[in-house]
Parts: sequence; C-alpha cells; structure tokens
Amino acid sequence: MTDLLELLVSVGEAGCIYGLVALSYLLVLRPTGIINFASGEWVALGAFAGVTLIAEGKLPWIAGLPLAVLAVGLIGWLSERLTVRPLVEGGASVLSPVLALLGMLVVYREAASLIWGVDNMFVPMPFGFGRVEIGPFAGSSQSFFILSVTLTVFFLVWLLFEKTVWGKAFEAVALNRMAAALMGINLKLVAVLAFSGGAAIAGLAGLLVAPITSVHFLMGLPLAVKGFTALVIGGVGRVEGALLGGLLLALVEKLTLRYAPIPSGFAIGVPFVMLILFLMLRPDGLLRAKGGS
Amino acid sequence: MGSVLLTARGLGKRFGGLVAVDDLSFDLNEGEILGLIGPNGAGKSTTFNLLAGALAADAGSVELRGAPLLGLKPHQIAAQGVMRTFQHNSPFSGMTLIENLLVGAHTRFNSSWISVLFGASSARDRERELRDRAHELLDFVGLAEWEGAEVDNLSFGQGRLLEVARALAGEPRLIMLDEPAAGLTLSEAGRLSEIIRGISARGIAVLLIEHDMRFLLPLADRVVVLNFGAKIAEGRPDEITSDPAVVAAYLGDAGMSRRAEH
Amino acid sequence: MRAFAAWLGGTAILAALALTLDGYAADLFRKLLLVATLCVGFNFLFGIAGQLAISHIAFYGIGAYGVVVLAFQFGWPLPLAIIGSIVICGIVALLVAIPATRLEGFFLALATLAFAQLFSVVLLQGGEITGGPQGISGYAAPDYFGLSSGDGGYTLVIVAVFLMTLAILVRLDHSWFGRACRAIRDNPATAAAMGVDVFRTKVAAFTLTSTLAGVTGIAYAFTDNYLSPLVFGLEPMFLLLFMIVIGGAGRHAGAVIGAALLFLAPEVLEEWVGRHYMLGFGVLVVAAILFQPAGLMGLWDSARRRWGAR
Repeated sequence: MTDLLELLVSVGEAGCIYGLVALSYLLVLRPTGIINFASGEWVALGAFAGVTLIAEGKLPWIAGLPLAVLAVGLIGWLSERLTVRPLVEGGASVLSPVLALLGMLVVYREAASLIWGVDNMFVPMPFGFGRVEIGPFAGSSQSFFILSVTLTVFFLVWLLFEKTVWGKAFEAVALNRMAAALMGINLKLVAVLAFSGGAAIAGLAGLLVAPITSVHFLMGLPLAVKGFTALVIGGVGRVEGALLGGLLLALVEKLTLRYAPIPSGFAIGVPFVMLILFLMLRPDGLLRAKGGS
Repeated sequence: MGSVLLTARGLGKRFGGLVAVDDLSFDLNEGEILGLIGPNGAGKSTTFNLLAGALAADAGSVELRGAPLLGLKPHQIAAQGVMRTFQHNSPFSGMTLIENLLVGAHTRFNSSWISVLFGASSARDRERELRDRAHELLDFVGLAEWEGAEVDNLSFGQGRLLEVARALAGEPRLIMLDEPAAGLTLSEAGRLSEIIRGISARGIAVLLIEHDMRFLLPLADRVVVLNFGAKIAEGRPDEITSDPAVVAAYLGDAGMSRRAEH
Repeated sequence: MRAFAAWLGGTAILAALALTLDGYAADLFRKLLLVATLCVGFNFLFGIAGQLAISHIAFYGIGAYGVVVLAFQFGWPLPLAIIGSIVICGIVALLVAIPATRLEGFFLALATLAFAQLFSVVLLQGGEITGGPQGISGYAAPDYFGLSSGDGGYTLVIVAVFLMTLAILVRLDHSWFGRACRAIRDNPATAAAMGVDVFRTKVAAFTLTSTLAGVTGIAYAFTDNYLSPLVFGLEPMFLLLFMIVIGGAGRHAGAVIGAALLFLAPEVLEEWVGRHYMLGFGVLVVAAILFQPAGLMGLWDSARRRWGAR
C-alpha cells in the first residue's frame, strides 16, 4: 500500500510536468491553430535558465524562478514576432509556421549546446533532499513542490479562461478567428500572448524538472513528445484536459514500468503507443472542447 | 427534351432542429438546363451538396439513369459522370491550367500504375488524348492561350471559367454549377451564358443554382423554386415568374423580386 | 528526346564517378547517393503529396534491419531476404498508412513520429536480433557478379537504386497519379469532387515512398556492413526535412540539390565550427521558410526568368 501511495506521488510529479508541457502546447494551439514542435526546447531553456540563475548565479529560487520564467516567455515572444507572424501575415499555408518552428527547435537546441555545452548540468532543489510526508503520501520535497506549483498554475490559467474577459477573448479566437476579429479582438496581440504564455509555462516545467533530472541540451524532445501525448489524451480544447492527460500518461507509464511483465526499455514506448491509440481511436481526447462541434 | 437523366425523390436533410431540405422531388432530363432558385437559406446549396455527395441525406433517393447516387462518396459520384463547380473558385494552385483540367479528367484515365511506370504506349496515348481534349475545352471557354500558365495568375472571371472547364474535363453527363455568375461582370456573365448553352448543346445536362434571375431566367429550360427547403413551384421560366407562390416567397426578399422584374 | 539524353548523361556521369572514386571520396559518394534517394522519395511524400510523415527514416531502417536480420540472423538466402525485407516494408507501410493518412496535417506528423520512435525503441530493445544499442556488424553480402560491398561495383548498385527511385517518382509525378497527389495537397475536397479517391491516393503515395525508402535501406545495409540504431533516429529525419525545404519542396531537382548541399556542407564546415553546423542549418531553414519558401529551386526559377527577360 505504501508502495502504491509513493508511486502515486511520483505519478503526480511526472504527470504535472507533462501537464505543464501540454498546457504550453494548448495555449499556442487554441488561438493560433499551430502545433509548436519547439515547446520541448522551451522546457530545456527553462532548465538552462535555472542552471545559470540558480546553480551558477546563486540566486535563491524565489528570485530565480520568476526570472527564468520571464526569460523563456521573452523567447516565446521573440519566436512569434520573428518567425510566426511574418508567415501568418504573408498568408503562408498553415504548415509553414509549423515547419519554421521545427527549424527553431534545432536553432534553440544547438544554441543551448553552444552556450551551456554538451555535459549534464544540475540545479539544486529549493527545499533540499528532504523526504516529506503529508498524510499517507510520502515523497521528495521536490515532488510536492512540483505538485503545488503546477496545481496553482493550472488553477490560475483556468481562472483566466473561465472568469476573465482575456480568457473569453482567447476562446473566441479559438472558435472563430474571423468573428473574433470583427468583434474587435486584436488577433496579433492574442497570438503573441499565446506564444509568450506558452513559452513561460514550458520554461517553468523545465525549471521544475531540472533538480530531479540532469539538464542536457537534448532533454527537450522527449518531453515535447510526452507533453503532446498528454494533450491528445486530455483533449486539445480544455485546460483541465492538459493536466488530466499528463496525469493519466504518467500513471500508465509508471504502472507499466513497475508492474508490466515487459523489459523496462520497452516501457519507453508507452507514450508513443498511447499517442497512436488516442490519435486513432479518440482524436478529440477525453474532454471535448466547449462549443466545438 | 430527352429522356430523364436524374430523378430525386423525397430528399430530406436536417441540421439539428433546422429543416434544410424537406421532401424535395424533381426530375432532370438529358441535356436540359435546370435552374434551382430560392431566397437565401432556401436549401439550394444543401440540395447541391446532397447531390454531389458532400453531405449525407437523411431521407430520399437520387438516381442517375436508374442507378442510385445517394450514399456514394464525392469521387464515386464524379466517376458516375456528375461533375461540379464550387461557389468560390478553388483551382489547384501551383499547377498550370491544363494540369488543372487533367485533374478534372482524373476518372477518364484508365491506365494503371504499372503501365504508367513502364511508359506503356496505351498510357502515353491516353495522356496525349486527354491533353488534346483538355486543350479543346480550354479553347471552348476561351482560355486556350493561357493553358501553360499557372492558375494563380488568372483573374477572378477567368478562374470561374476554369472551374467550368475543369468540371467538363471529367466528361460529365450532368454538370452542376454553384452560382457560377456570382461576382462576374456583365460581359463575363454574358460569355458564361453562351458557354452554358454550348454545354447543353453538347448533350450535357446542367443543374444551375443561381441568385441572379437576370442571368438564370433567359438561360434555363425549366426552374425549380425552393423556399424553406421545400419545392414551391416548378416549370418554365415564364410560368415561374407569374406563379403567385413564387411571387409571395420573393416579396419577403425585395431585392430578389426587383431583380426578377427586370 | 532531350529528357532521354539527360537521363543517359546523368547515368554515365554517376557510373563514371562510381568506378573512379575511391577511399573516403567513394564512401562519401555512396552516402550522398543514399541520402539523395531518401530525399527524392520523401519529397514526393511531403512536397508533392503534402504528407508531413516523420516515419520516412524509420522505413529506411526497417529495410536495412529487415534484410540483415532475415539474411544473417535467420539465415535466409540473400535474394530471398531482400524480397522479404521489401515485402515487410510494404506491409508495415500499408498498415501505418491506412489509419495515419486519415489524420490531418500535423496530427499525421505526430502519429508517424510516434511510430518512428517506437521503431527506435524496438531496435534498442531487440536483444540479439537487432543487436540493441550496439547494432549489428560483422556481416557481409556474398559476392554476386563482383558486386561485393564496399567497392566501385557496389557503388553501381547504389547508383541504380537512386536512378530507379528517381525514374519511378518522376514518371508518376507526370501522370494522373502525381497530379492527383498535388491536387489533394492543395485542396482535398475539390480533388474528391474531381473524382480523385483521396484516401486511396494518400495511402498509395505513403506506401510507395515508404517502401522505396526501405529499398534504399537495403542498399545502405551493405554499404558499411554495420547497422546502428542512431542512423535511423529522429535527427536524420529532421535533416531530410531540412534538405527538402532548402532545396525546394515539390521539386525533384530541389530534393537532390538540397541533399547534396546539406550532406556535403558539414565536410567543409566541421573543421571550423565542429558539430555546430546544425545551428546554421536551423537558421537556414527558418530563413528559407520566411524569405524563400520555394527554396533554392525558387531562386533558380526567378534567376532564369530575369535572364530570359533580358
């Protein structure tokens, strides 16, 4: 039983990271219709920002975290302005920004390897190596830190979408760009906010995961694939779906690793199998978009 | 007029609570120009899409010379000899005019992959034959001099003619035109009328959805009038314009009735 | 007639290079031909048929591993193993294509990416059959007609695979099939209204080009007589995509030029910038999409037009 509860904490931890990456995709995808393959690199950049600010710059987490998130958000802002907007304004096909962002994936990654090198790097944990027990649940302090930060972020984003006029504008653009523009919503502003917000959240995911994995310039792509899988599982239309998808993916992944009678190497394949299954069988995901047909 | 080419019986389509097409029946004869008119939202486009297989009907049957058409996919309907144009020009960009027509002639290629790969003379002959025919069609609509140009360079009016020529390249028995005169200048519309008469003269039936009565009435052999998805009148253009039900339906749409009076 | 002369001339030049080059240059030439073959196939799938399928390199790997596993792990005679490997590629491609081509745009990319990653997992975890992370080495094809692997004679085999792939795809491109593919890329609904069976055409394009990638993989298997899972990962797939975009998507010549440029560039650049040439490629691709979406072939076209106008 304690075994299972501890497993659940680690599922929560991994699921939160996947969920944040999925949320990053979602923020960009909903209003712009663009799947941003570079999301994973934003995660890596968030982790590297942690290396520079917290590990090397000796900043406390309370200062390093907002700075790192801001820095990656700025990179998202730049990506939109420099690569996506000119293509959208030029009337290029919808696949062009996707390809351009795929190019940016390599640019980010190679730039990171140029700046930070190719060796593994580390970020210290904000609350040390201590083991925390909350009720029947036990895990590392970082697990609980990740859980609480992620849940807060999801709650805030959910509030933003449900309760504020900004969120409504976002939804309106997602449902019908033309009508939203006629209603006076600034599509360019929405797009640039989507990219900045998406990048900031991906960067946050990277920073949170940095202390429990080593930071490496190739860390982005696997997380990008898992985040996307989480998004497809949860459904591409809902904020809650991203978190649900992330948790479900992490659950299946950890359960296979722990209990399934297959070599652990094959467990790496779990997200891919889930991605394929969901794309084939339930492309709308578990939660349907509101107002979508 | 020739024998019956297409029969539609009891055609129905609902979108949620909205009845778009309601128990619609009509016949279309070989080589005939049949106009389908009605106020906005009368179900003309829905009917069109049901016939083209782009939408699935909820009720009814459509037969082409006795062979059922409903339930077939769009490409199968095209293979049956029913070709269509689109309300908005949709050329295959990046291709030349003649290549666009050859896509229209897709169902007329009977050469297999293998014969194409090995450059079999039958495949080459068929390609040459259909290229010649495509050239003739471009000549027929007056676009022959641009046949090697990319479609992206065409004007709106020329694009509309290309739509028609591309549909004709499929050697249809029935060609369905979705508001072909929309957006055309007066002289372009006149040119299009001649072309449509020419199509009919070749023995190809024409189903025409049109808003512009001045364009449609002189052209159509018969007209079916829809309102709220149901047929309210059917007959020769002169019978239609004096039909009280039609006049009543159009009174609500002042712009249309004024046009009809001209 | 001019086309025939061009094919003849091209064949003669490639054959002459195959027989004269040796050592490192010969190895480079063989690898370049293999990459160009993959590019020509992927260009048909992505540039002409409009399918962003991230599985092309995986099928290259299925062909390569297929023939080696069948011939040297299972002991099949080589001709049978080659046929077996092609059949496997075809069947797997069909099985992937039937569900995957129903997906739109980047969802196809993700499904095929997942498939490619699964293939990598299978290679890494395949135990003795695939050799795991170490791959398979120490095998060699029997010497048929003096075409033993590793010398000029074998280079001719690769030249033949390249020319065959190019000839098949150029010919199909200029037929009803190629036009149907382009029409679907541009507007599937209109293509269907013109009588194109969109689903079948997509599946056919995917299966054909993926199987051709498998055939290229079979040729690769005896180039080094060594297979490593790294060769069939995502990284080469990105490069393939970059080659097409920079060369000019949808153009056969563009695919070959893009392949040559990006394959040979590291040979020159590596001395100066080490492995960071990938950064340059990334920048180049983004710049190409932004400023020259038709790639190098687009530049060539506009240069020719300006020349002709003068």
